[in-house]
Amino acid sequence: MITDLVLAIFCIVFVPVLGGFISGIDRIITARFQSRVGPPLLQPFYDVIKLFGKEKVVVNVWQAFCAYCYIAAASISIVMFFFKSDLLLILFVQAVGAIFLVVGALSSTSPFSQVGAHRELLQILSYEPLLVLVVVGMYLEVDSFKIWKIYEWNEPLILKLPFLFIVLGYALTIKLRKSPFDLSTSHHAHQELVKGVLTDYSGPFLGLIEIAHWYETVLVLGLCSLFWATNWIGGFILVAITYILEIIIDNVSARMTWRWMLGYVWAMGITLSVVNMVWLSLV
Amino acid sequence: MKELLVFILIVSPFMFAVLCSIIKSDKIRSFVVLAMGIILSVSSLLLITKVPFSFSPKSVFTIKVNHIIEVSDFLLLFLMLFFAFKYKSILIRIFVIFQMVFVSYFDFFLKQNHSDYPTIYCDHLSLIMVLIISIIGSLICFQAVPYMKEHEHHLNIHPAISKQRGFFFVMVLFLGAMNGLALSNDMMFFYFFFEVTTICSFLLIGHDQTEVAIKNSIRALWMNSLGGCAFIVAIVWIYSQIGTLDIQEIIRTYGNAKYYVLPLALICLAGFTKSAQFPFQSWLLGAMVAPTPVSALLHSSTMVKVGVYIVLRFSPVFKGIFLSQCVALCGAFAFLAGAALAVGQSNGKKVLAYSTISNLGLILACAGINTPAAHTAAILLIIFHAVTKALLFMCVGTIEQHIASRDIEDMRGLYAEMPITALITVMGVITMIMPPFGLLLGKWMAMEAAARNLLVILMVSLGSALTVMYWARWAGTLMSDPFAGKFKLESQPILTWIPLLSLCSLASVLSFLAPLVYTKMIVPDLNSNFIPFDIHRGIFENSYGQFPVVPLCLIAILGFGVAVWAVKSAASSRIVPPYLSGAQTAEPGTFTGPMNQLVKSEARNYYLSRIFGEKRLTTCINLAAGVWLILMVGGTL
Repeated sequence: MITDLVLAIFCIVFVPVLGGFISGIDRIITARFQSRVGPPLLQPFYDVIKLFGKEKVVVNVWQAFCAYCYIAAASISIVMFFFKSDLLLILFVQAVGAIFLVVGALSSTSPFSQVGAHRELLQILSYEPLLVLVVVGMYLEVDSFKIWKIYEWNEPLILKLPFLFIVLGYALTIKLRKSPFDLSTSHHAHQELVKGVLTDYSGPFLGLIEIAHWYETVLVLGLCSLFWATNWIGGFILVAITYILEIIIDNVSARMTWRWMLGYVWAMGITLSVVNMVWLSLV
Repeated sequence: MKELLVFILIVSPFMFAVLCSIIKSDKIRSFVVLAMGIILSVSSLLLITKVPFSFSPKSVFTIKVNHIIEVSDFLLLFLMLFFAFKYKSILIRIFVIFQMVFVSYFDFFLKQNHSDYPTIYCDHLSLIMVLIISIIGSLICFQAVPYMKEHEHHLNIHPAISKQRGFFFVMVLFLGAMNGLALSNDMMFFYFFFEVTTICSFLLIGHDQTEVAIKNSIRALWMNSLGGCAFIVAIVWIYSQIGTLDIQEIIRTYGNAKYYVLPLALICLAGFTKSAQFPFQSWLLGAMVAPTPVSALLHSSTMVKVGVYIVLRFSPVFKGIFLSQCVALCGAFAFLAGAALAVGQSNGKKVLAYSTISNLGLILACAGINTPAAHTAAILLIIFHAVTKALLFMCVGTIEQHIASRDIEDMRGLYAEMPITALITVMGVITMIMPPFGLLLGKWMAMEAAARNLLVILMVSLGSALTVMYWARWAGTLMSDPFAGKFKLESQPILTWIPLLSLCSLASVLSFLAPLVYTKMIVPDLNSNFIPFDIHRGIFENSYGQFPVVPLCLIAILGFGVAVWAVKSAASSRIVPPYLSGAQTAEPGTFTGPMNQLVKSEARNYYLSRIFGEKRLTTCINLAAGVWLILMVGGTL
């Protein structure tokens, strides 16, 4: 019981630090791709600390409620991940956070927030089924939804589920807010919707959302690492390569429309998943 | 004791209904409805300690029960025929006469007199149905009292020609019929109550007697009569093969391969029409024209649950055969199609209707998957869907009477006007889609049970994402307003508050108690040595999955507390107008644009009607579902 509590507190504290570093590295690499020097590694932390020092300003008190719910759901899902719990349930808990982010943005009457929120919903609509299918694929292979069963499995899942790993890549790109899927809000300054779903969040509440995003980043990368769960070096390399690829894709592609996203992601995701699952049932 | 309870649950609503129809005073009638609700709820709760039981009531008021049913069957069919001629509907005439022929053939030629089997049977599944009908149904009737008063006031109907007597007569009668349906173990009894619910829904949908109401009620009648036809054919067929009407006996013997499967497919078809599965969804959508308590009664606790109840009741019989696969696929397809159509709707009641069809589809998919875990999921979904959907319908009804619209766009910023109702609605939405609440628990179980079935899990995962979309959109819209921190509480009649608040708390408390519901109400019914989930410390666990209900509930309460504290502390922070890409003006929602002109900003929700619109999808979906149904029934030949 005590060790559980320590583990929970540890990952609630440690994961955002990890997420912040990932974000810092991301910004440096992206800058190098664009022939810039880029910010210092700790810049994401400076940003968030500064946000927490700002005055509390809201458009609607429900924004505060939703920001807290978002970070609560994101942190609970990552704790459950560290407890090696049920993958499908982790996805549902993570979805709660995403929904509250949208509801918070919808509670502002600004058209920028509203349209951003709807685009965020469309992004959820695009990636949520794919994540479920990825998890189902893992279940078909290891016969369990529990993460610790995956860790006990004696060969890397990517050997049996290569296409599902690509499917996860789509979900990852959307979830990390990378081009071509950064419709609702993006890290770069190419948003014609001001800041999309985040437009009316400000100050400490925006800081909370930033931290919650770090939790989510670590969660989806954790999902990636499950594809090479036999040893941590393999997992680390897999995640590192995937992330570098994400950054490259982000830099070489333009942002697309939601119609294209929904059609393309569903078509590719479903086809690849079905192919992989059918193949799995044949071998 | 159990005889008395069953008598109260089935027969007393019929008596209360007669009382409602003769009492002229509104006050006394309300009192009668209240008394009936309390009596029904208490007796259904007392029934918990008695299950399982079975017995055979010989007579009611010294008349033999069998004779009552036989005679009433014909009376009912003649009543339907009367309506068929009154409204000149060819379809209804055909279906009713078809049923008459079969019922007479059965009663006069086929039936042998040996009724030594129990005609009333109550296991935990029936008990759950009875509890839902008696408690939630009664709450809906309570809410109907202030609603109907306001409704008639709104329509300028003079109290002297009020049609409330007829309305409450049918509403209360309906509860009795539903209880009878859940408790009967004789196929003919079941058929009788099935037909009573059909005619009741016809009368309730047509209550307002407007042109649309009459048209929609006729459609409901013919579609449900089609279900009745399928059912009576199935009865005759089964009886001519194994010579019994005892449902338990049929379930025991019929699994045998030497009998035809077609009657089972017909029973499923009857269930599909009652549950308004595609392509029969239009009667349920048409039912929207009725006063909202009717929608709540038809969509949440009663009518539509009959369909899933029969399929679930008979599902052990078709375990592992083609029919089971078909039911699973049809259900999963309805889950996806219903969710897709709901995304395209801005009419709140239609969203609820499609979401009902969608959820019933999921329950049917569980019945078709046919494993103990899937059955558990189905029953949990039935319970929690009934509670939450009744709540949401009542909310929409209350909102509609206040703002005179049921469009989601018009509910923008409702929080400022009706804070409590808006909050309860949002709570209803949250219990609909979020863990740790019961519906998500059911969905989680359903998905884990369906994981081996590629097509089913594919459709369920897509449908699940669409579901999130339309609910989140609605919840956000209710909260959207330039909210200035001060609001005044709205006032509503006490009989509106009681059902709303009790259902809202029931939805959340019952989720917390889900492990208890599972061990006490679902496990005893699975009648196999294989228990799908172990419960320890409030955690559902089996070899492949784990859902910590109680721990998650505790964390959710904690998180909710923090978030409420956040709202309180945010109320003291500076509240600013939203960003509008220009200098704000004093008037909310406008900014100073080019040439110093005021620009009004406006945003509406995405309904994606070009992709998910009714016009675009309905035909394709009906066609696909129709083909599936033909395959289901034809494939069993």
